[in-house]
Parts: sequence; C-alpha cells; structure tokens
Amino acid sequence: MAEYELDCLGEACPVPLMKAEKKMATLNKGDVLVVHIDHSCAMKNVPEWARSQGFNVEVEEVDDGEWDVIIEK
Amino acid sequence: MTEPANIPIHRTTTTTRKRKKKKSQLPIALLVLLGIIAIGLLLTLRSTSVAMFWVFGCCFGFALQKSRFCFTASLRDPCITGSTSITKAVLIAFALTSIGFTAIKYNAFVSGQTIPGQSYVMPVSLATVVGGIMFGIGMVIAGGCASGTLMRIGEGFAMQMLALVFFVIGSLWGAKDMGWWNMNVIAGAPRIFLPDVFGWMGAIVIQLLIIGCLYVAADLWERKKLGIKDEE
Repeated sequence: MAEYELDCLGEACPVPLMKAEKKMATLNKGDVLVVHIDHSCAMKNVPEWARSQGFNVEVEEVDDGEWDVIIEK
Repeated sequence: MTEPANIPIHRTTTTTRKRKKKKSQLPIALLVLLGIIAIGLLLTLRSTSVAMFWVFGCCFGFALQKSRFCFTASLRDPCITGSTSITKAVLIAFALTSIGFTAIKYNAFVSGQTIPGQSYVMPVSLATVVGGIMFGIGMVIAGGCASGTLMRIGEGFAMQMLALVFFVIGSLWGAKDMGWWNMNVIAGAPRIFLPDVFGWMGAIVIQLLIIGCLYVAADLWERKKLGIKDEE
C-alpha cells in the first residue's frame, strides 16, 4: 500500500495524463498515486481516464486552480 | 459517465497539503460582471455591433471555460486514451450549428436577400489537408487550439501565454503571405457550397448523416479502446 506522487504542475493538457498512465502501469494493486496538476483540462481527463480503467478516483482542489488527483489502483 | 460509488481512498502516508483558507470569490465575480456591463454600455455609445461582439465574446468564453470544450482534445484524446466524450460533444455542436446556419442562410435565400457569410465558403484543395495537419500538430504541442489557448490564458496558465505570442506571430506571418498562396496555390480550387450541389434539404440531410456516422464511429471506437462494459 505505497503512495506515490507525480508532479505535473505547469504541464499542459495531454502530458499529465500520459505521465499518469505510465506511472500507473508500474504500481501494484492497492497503491495510491497522487497527481498534482494545475491545468484545468487535465483535471477533467485524468479522472475520466482513471475511472474508465476501473480505478478509484478523488479530486481535491488544494488551491485556486490547483488540484490533486488521487488514484487508487 | 456514471461515477463509481465514492469509497474514500485510504491514503497511507497522507501528505495532504495544507489547504489555504478559501477566500470567497463572489465580490470579484460581481466586480467583473459590473465591469463587463460597463464596458458593454460604453461600446454601445460608439457602435452597437461592437457591443454585440463584446457580449457574445464574453458569453462564449464563459461557456467554453465552464464546459471544458476543447477542440484539441476532441481530436487528440481518441488517439491517446481512446476517450471520445469530447469528440462526441463537438460532433453534437457541429450538428446544431449546421441546422442553425442552414436556417439563417435558407431564410435569407427565400426572402431574396444576399445569403450572409458566403465569403467564408473557402476553396477546397490539397492545401486544406496540409494546413489542417500542420494546425493539428501545432495545437497538440501548444495544448490548445485558438479558442482553447485564449481560454486558458484567462485561467492564468502561463505556458499558454507563450503559445499566444507565437500564435500572434504565426497569424501575422500567415496574413502577410496569404495573398501569394491564394494567387499561386489555392486560386484554381473549387468553392463548394453544399446547397448548390444537393439542394437545401439534401445538403443538411447529408451533412447530418455524415456527422451521425462519425458519432457512431466515435462511440464504437471508445468502446473498443477502453473495453467499456455497458452497465456496472
């Protein structure tokens, strides 16, 4: 039950998603990945992708225009 | 998409960052709204059509930001993730605008006025394809098409301000050389206005049929790529 972080602050749209996709592939079941993002578009497509994969997802707005996407594999 | 039952995720090393106390943004929102109205009224003094552009521009920006409507994502996501939800949204928008524009144009045609917007019926040639591919590469790298870039600058995303600078440079350069391209490359290409070819009814039906086919294709593509089960 490890927890990993992925810093995607300042990265535009497809990059956070692709990074999260790659990182998730290396995680074990039950691990949690926290993706830090500040691109509003990624706030939409990262959770959508993760849910479509059947992962548990939470989005937290940590600051104005800055989000943590928490994905559990 | 239905959200799965929200079981709180158990975070072990919980490094939840301290959340800054949220300030209410309502006063700022009211100020901005008043500002928009004030500028609109000032513009009316000069010209009503400019004021109209202002109001439509503000509404368009608001809708774009709130809906996360993104033409880039509509074409990019199917390739990257297989998700076509935005693609389908864009297709629905195209269908609606097709009907709307046909109504406006047909109305003008029937009442014998000049049909508005006909100068935007552009010649179709290989240049269209090449230009489209170049624009596509650019918008995926920049993370947004024209409207998307502008919207994210409004959100304060710094990288896209850089994109805007080059967007302006590119547009200026394009405008400067457009005459040459028109003369030498595009001139001979046909301008096709569908109602001239198929009649008004035929044109709208064919256009909607094509959009419908694309919608079905997008839906099938998503199911295939994501392996979506129908109900959970």
